[in-house]
Amino acid sequence: MVALVIVSTFVVLVLGILVAGLLRSHADILRSLHELGVGVGDPSAAPAPAPGANPVTVTTPASSPALGVAPAVAGVTPTGDARAIAVDNSDDLTLLGFLSSGCTGCAAFWDALQDAGRLQLPDRTRVVIVTKGPDREVPSEVRLRATGQVPVVMSTDAWVDYEVPGSPFFVLVDGATGRKVGQGVASQVGQLAELVRRAEHDRSSAAGGRGRGDGSPGGPAREAAADEVLAAAGIFPGDASLYPRTLDDVFPHGRAVPTE
Amino acid sequence: MATIGAHGITARLPDGFEGRIFVRQASVGVTYPVGQFATFPIPDGIGDFGSGAVTLMGPSDVFATLFEYGPESLGTALFARQGRPTGFSGADFSPMTLRRGIPGQSGTQWFFTESGRPFSFYAVLGSHAQRPALVPHVNTLLSSLTLSPAAVADHPGARPRWN
Repeated sequence: MVALVIVSTFVVLVLGILVAGLLRSHADILRSLHELGVGVGDPSAAPAPAPGANPVTVTTPASSPALGVAPAVAGVTPTGDARAIAVDNSDDLTLLGFLSSGCTGCAAFWDALQDAGRLQLPDRTRVVIVTKGPDREVPSEVRLRATGQVPVVMSTDAWVDYEVPGSPFFVLVDGATGRKVGQGVASQVGQLAELVRRAEHDRSSAAGGRGRGDGSPGGPAREAAADEVLAAAGIFPGDASLYPRTLDDVFPHGRAVPTE
Repeated sequence: MATIGAHGITARLPDGFEGRIFVRQASVGVTYPVGQFATFPIPDGIGDFGSGAVTLMGPSDVFATLFEYGPESLGTALFARQGRPTGFSGADFSPMTLRRGIPGQSGTQWFFTESGRPFSFYAVLGSHAQRPALVPHVNTLLSSLTLSPAAVADHPGARPRWN
């Protein structure tokens, strides 16, 4: 009888240890799933995310200072025309959305990226949708999703150039520098827009009036343009007019006197 | 440097340029290929010769249109020149050549036939005063274009005839 009690107690202890181990393993799995953004519930009692609200993962310059130069995007349109987008020829931000016609996660972005009012991006943000080329995509499917509101370029080369791991994938480019300022995956439209707005704010704070926002060249280009205009007027380095000594040198034809 | 090509026109775009080559959809009549190239973002929905775009140009910008006309233009005096211009000088640009006069800008337009296709090449400088710096960009763009013969069916003269 005593032996039976001892054996039963031992079996219960072993089973208890097994159950505890299984519960711990289950908790680890749930925690990992939650960290990946596909968890159900939150073990730390934080507010539960809305259904389908997987987090946006975007690399920013602060976390990755060397995202690199953004190459031009060149390919064909869904209607068979040719299109090349240069991302370094303005002061604007360019948001490249790498989408596919068949991916379920892309559907919301096809609609949102072609509806400026819905996305509410900063004013000077250009949106370009990039799909794989006709060798990997069905142009008629892409044509069905393109509304003509933003450029849609089909280019497998662009996917290779930007090392796109899958769709949907987004790259934000600063036109003034031609460099990427953020990139990553996303599955929720609102968070993507917020990240673009934040990048625009950071860029504005850092730049402080740099570039060609007023339509004029900036930096070395502006200096070169000024040199050319001066040279065309016969004024070269060392010209006496560049080094006025008196106000009469500045106003050789007399100074205007304000009238009452 | 990006290369694009469609409708028998290929452009090896110089750095800083973007472009598109398209055939505008028309409900009536026949339309022919148009190439638009610029050193600034080209908006969608602009006119063939840049209306809606040239107003967005900065002084250091360039816009150009390569416009193909119909085969009925072949052999006419306007398109008598064989081959595109080999290059422009500052004197080729004038504020009077603009389709739409915008203060400070200037333009040039040339008609020619190449590869059996009648074209006009129209270019706008964002600043006439900066033409010494901008005209070379236009010339680089012009030399980057490859114009292929049109499809056989597009040429009336090459169509099969009844004996």
